[in-house]
Amino acid sequence: MKFSRLIGKAEKIVDSHAQGHPVKSAKLSKLQRLLGEKIARYQEKLDATEDPQKREKLQTRLKVVNAQLKKSRKLSTR
Amino acid sequence: MLRRILLPSILLILGYGFWVSPDFKEIAAGVSIFLFGMLFLEEGFKAFTGGVLEKLLQKTTDKTWKSLLFGVISTSIMQSSSLVSVITISFISAGLVTLVGGIGIIFGANIGTTTGAWLVAAFGLKVKISAYAMPMLVFGIVLSFQKSKYLKGIGSVLAGLGFLFLGIHYMKEGFEAFKGSFDLASLAVAGYPGLFLFAGIGAAATVVMQSSHATLVLILTALAAGQITYENGLALAIGANVGTTITAIIGALSANVQGKRLAGAHLIFNLVTGVIAIAFISQFVWAVDVISNSVGIAKDNYTMKLAVFHTLFNLTGVIVMVPLIQRLADYLYKVLPEKSKDLAEPLYLNEAVVEFPETVLKSLKKEVWHLFDSAFELMAHGINLHRTEILESPDLEKTIDEDREIHEFDLDELYESKVKILYGAIIEFISHAQENMPSIYAEEMFRLRKASSEIVECVKHVKHLRKNATRYMLSDNEHIRVEYNRLRYQISLVLREIYRLRNEDDYDHALAMLEIDELKAEIKLEHKQLDVRITEVLRDDRITPMMATSLLNDFNYVDETSRNLLDTAQALLVSHSDLVAEAAREVVLDEDEIDEASAA
Repeated sequence: MKFSRLIGKAEKIVDSHAQGHPVKSAKLSKLQRLLGEKIARYQEKLDATEDPQKREKLQTRLKVVNAQLKKSRKLSTR
Repeated sequence: MLRRILLPSILLILGYGFWVSPDFKEIAAGVSIFLFGMLFLEEGFKAFTGGVLEKLLQKTTDKTWKSLLFGVISTSIMQSSSLVSVITISFISAGLVTLVGGIGIIFGANIGTTTGAWLVAAFGLKVKISAYAMPMLVFGIVLSFQKSKYLKGIGSVLAGLGFLFLGIHYMKEGFEAFKGSFDLASLAVAGYPGLFLFAGIGAAATVVMQSSHATLVLILTALAAGQITYENGLALAIGANVGTTITAIIGALSANVQGKRLAGAHLIFNLVTGVIAIAFISQFVWAVDVISNSVGIAKDNYTMKLAVFHTLFNLTGVIVMVPLIQRLADYLYKVLPEKSKDLAEPLYLNEAVVEFPETVLKSLKKEVWHLFDSAFELMAHGINLHRTEILESPDLEKTIDEDREIHEFDLDELYESKVKILYGAIIEFISHAQENMPSIYAEEMFRLRKASSEIVECVKHVKHLRKNATRYMLSDNEHIRVEYNRLRYQISLVLREIYRLRNEDDYDHALAMLEIDELKAEIKLEHKQLDVRITEVLRDDRITPMMATSLLNDFNYVDETSRNLLDTAQALLVSHSDLVAEAAREVVLDEDEIDEASAA
C-alpha cells in the first residue's frame, strides 16, 4: 500500500471517529437489541391475552416498536 | 398582630441587652458576624458549582465511606468539627452535596474531632485557627473585588471563613465573663444523675466557649485538680460532644431547608451517641481500661484515657448510625419539609452558574421538572383527583370511577402563584444564560424552553376541561359520566407513566423516551374509538347533541394536553451528553409514523 493511501485511510478513520459514527452505531445496535427483546416480550403477552381491548393496545404497541426497530436499522446502515 | 410586634420587640430586647451588658453586646455581635460569614461562604461555594469543586465533592461524597473519610480528614486538618459542619451546611445549601453525603461528612467529622483530644492529651496544645481570621478577611475581600468568577468565589470563601472565625472569637470573648461561674467541685454527684448533670454541664460549657477542645482542657484541669471524678470527666466529654452542635445550629439559621436538615442530623447523631455512651458507661470504662493497658497507657494517665474514651464512643456512634443514614435522611425530610410556598420559587436557577454551560443545562432541566411537578398538582386537582391517587392507586380506573369528590380551589390563582412565576423565572434565566452559551447547546436550550411552554399550555387546557369534567362526573347520565371519567383517566395515566419513566435508571431513559411513542399511539387509538362511541350513543339518544359537542371539544383539550406532556417528557428524559439517548432521539417516531402504527 502506498504511503499516501495509508494516510488517506487513516484520515478517513479519524474523521468518522470525530463525527461520532462508530460510537453512535454501537449505541444503535444496543438499542436494536433492547427493542428486539421488547418485541419478544409484547408478542408473548399478546399470545397470552384474549381480551380484545388489551390485544388491540398490545398490537398498537408492537407496531410502534417494530417501526422504531426498522428506523434504527435504517439509521445504522447510513 | 404577633408578627407586627415581633421585630420591634426583638430590637427593643437587643437594645436593652446592649445597654445593660457589654458582654451581651459582644456575644450578639459575634453571632451576627458569624451569620454574615455563612452568607459569604455560601456565595463563594456557589461560584464553583459546575466546576472543579462540584466534581471533587461529588466524587468524594458519592459513597458513605467516602463522605465519612472526607469528614475525618477535613476535621483532623481544621481541628474543628463545628467548622466542618458549618462548611458542609453551606455545601448543601449551594446544592454541591446531597443530604446523605452531608450526614456522612458530619459522622466523619465526629471521628476527626477526636484527633483534637489526642493532641490535647499528647501535647496540651490546641491549633488556633482563629489567628488566621484577619489575614483571611483581608485576602478574601481583595480577591472578591476581582473580575474572575473563580477568584471572586475564592475571595468570598476566604472572607466567609474569616468572618466565621471572627464571629466565634467575639462570642468567646463575650462568654469569658461567665467562665468563672463554673465551679465543678460543688456539683459532683454520684451515679447516673451525676452523669446526666455533668453531660449537661459539658454541653453548656461548650456552647459558652464555642469549642469542645476548650471544654476538654477544662475537664483535664478539673481532673488533675481532683475537682471531679473520672466518670464525671467522661460525662463532661460526652456533653461537650453534644454542645459542639450549637455552632451548626446557628449556621443553619441562615441556610435553606437542606442545611437545617443537616444541622438536625448533627444534633440527633451527637445526642444518640451521648445517650449510648451514658447508658453503657461502665462497659466503655472497661473497654478504655483494656485498650489503655494493651497500648501501655498508665492507669492514672487520665488525659490519655479520656482521649481513648472520646475516640471509642464517637466510633461506636458512627458504627451504630451509619446503617441508619438513609432512614435518618428520610426522617429529616419528613419533619423538615420544603415549605409549599417554595414550590412557586425557582429551586435550581442560580445566576452564578450562567458561565458553565453543562451546569446551566442541568439546573434548567431540574427546574423544568420542578415546573412539571407544580403543574402536575394543579392538573390533578383540576380533574378532581389527588396527586397521591394518580401516583399510588393500584387500580386507577376504578379510583376515578369511584372518587366523586369535587376539589374546591381557585385554579387561576394557583396558576399565577405556582406555575406562571416559575415559568417566568425559567424564561428569564434562559435569556440570560443564552448570552454565554456556545451554539452547540442552542438546540437543547430551545427544547427546554419549548417543554416549559408546553407544560404551561397543559395547565390552561385542564382549566378549560375542568368545568365540564366537574359537571359531568356527577351527572346522572351514566354514558356521559363514563366518557368524562375516561378523559380524567387519560390525563392521569399520562402523568403517572411520565413519573414512572422518569424514575428509570440512566440507560433506560433512552428506552423510556421510545416508550412514550407507544403511549402516543395508544392515545390516537383511543381518539378513534371515542369517535365510534360518540356516534353510537348519539344515534341511540343516550347523550344529547350538546353533551357530544362538549365531549368532542374536551377530548381535543385532553388529546393536546397528553401530547404536550409526552413531548415534554421526551425532551426532559434525554441528556445531550448521553449517547444512547442521543441515538434513541433519532429513532423516535414522528406524527405520521405514529399515525401509521395506530392505524387498524
